[in-house]
Amino acid sequence: MAKKVLVVDDDPDVRLFSVTVMEENGYTPLEATNGEEGMKIIKKEMPDLLILDILMPRESGIRLYRNLKTSESLKHIPVIVLSGIAEKSFLRSQKVLTEFGGEPVPEPEAYLEKPVKAEVLADMIKKVIG
Amino acid sequence: MEIQKLLFVTKFEQMGFDALQSILDLRNAALNHVVFMYVIEREDVAMKRGIGYQKGQEIRLRETANIRFIDWAENLFEQGMEVGVYIVVGSLVPEVIKAAQKEESDLIVIGRPHKGVLEQLYSGSDVAEVLRRAAKPVLVFKHDLEKAPAFEKPFNRPLLAIDWSPASLKAIEYLKGLKDVAREINVIHVVSQGDLEGFSTMDVQETRKQTRQKLDDICDNFKSEGMNARHHVYVGDPVEEIEKAARECQASMIVLGSSAKTVWVERWIGSIPRTIAEKSIYPTLLIPPEQK
Repeated sequence: MAKKVLVVDDDPDVRLFSVTVMEENGYTPLEATNGEEGMKIIKKEMPDLLILDILMPRESGIRLYRNLKTSESLKHIPVIVLSGIAEKSFLRSQKVLTEFGGEPVPEPEAYLEKPVKAEVLADMIKKVIG
Repeated sequence: MEIQKLLFVTKFEQMGFDALQSILDLRNAALNHVVFMYVIEREDVAMKRGIGYQKGQEIRLRETANIRFIDWAENLFEQGMEVGVYIVVGSLVPEVIKAAQKEESDLIVIGRPHKGVLEQLYSGSDVAEVLRRAAKPVLVFKHDLEKAPAFEKPFNRPLLAIDWSPASLKAIEYLKGLKDVAREINVIHVVSQGDLEGFSTMDVQETRKQTRQKLDDICDNFKSEGMNARHHVYVGDPVEEIEKAARECQASMIVLGSSAKTVWVERWIGSIPRTIAEKSIYPTLLIPPEQK
């Protein structure tokens, strides 16, 4: 059975790009437009991989990532962050949230800064989930 | 009533990151989420004869805004805050109202209107429309005014103008939620000259005494929350007197309940909150009446 990959991004162009890459490489794509919607789909579909944007309406990727990685039943799901936000800002934000009394969270499996080439994304997905 | 999430509407040239930074002391209250919004006005990318829809222009405006927002967002993320972004093509007012509802934001922050007098008369100012339609408080920033004093912390010394309307009384509760941010609140009521016409000296003094007593109760209400509060009674034109009081009290912001007048009544007769929001040199926080 094809592995399920959920892309969470508010930009329809990025979702279309990611979905095309996944389909061409034999994965089953799932889509969400913000963190809140993403978490609902994660709980329902239990995807094999999450491709996550950071800057989104309603709930950002920062919050979704934190909720995912502090959930006993979901923390095993690997994450590739695909965002315009710099990796150091993402890591710094998680560090600050931990300092505010949150649970420490691990770094994502991969971090790709937008824009990314199709083959780079495909290679990264393959590297993370095979 | 806490401000946890604010919607920051910007056109960049008038409302930059410095404007946002000046209100970030709201984090001492409860602020933890900022949503940036940039509306690409439809006419900037609209269909034009011989050109069609200007997709290239839309992409250029969208990406320019995106670059700015990413920069701002990184700054806020690194401070442990939540950040969201809306970059949409449409009309400013409906898009702002839609985003505020979708995000359930506790405060809308917007710049001063830029339309001319005639334009405002016929089409209304964007800010006036937002004030009328928003279910949440609206802070009108005056960052672009040359004569506006530079307020490092607008929420530090608010001047609350009370007219005893339900919205202005609701403003009291709203300000109480800012007790960790507001250092001193000056509460003012303006008695109009017309209200005193035909009254005897005794009547005037009695009016003043009763007003002071009611203002005293409001100040006690703030003090019970551990907030400093002082009250003042002014007489005259409300718009002029509120501005004067703000200056004399060295206020950092004016807070008013917004009226629920109809569009046409406001456009032709005007309203005090709208006039202050548009004309005052002080940032103006408008609290809407309870939604029916």
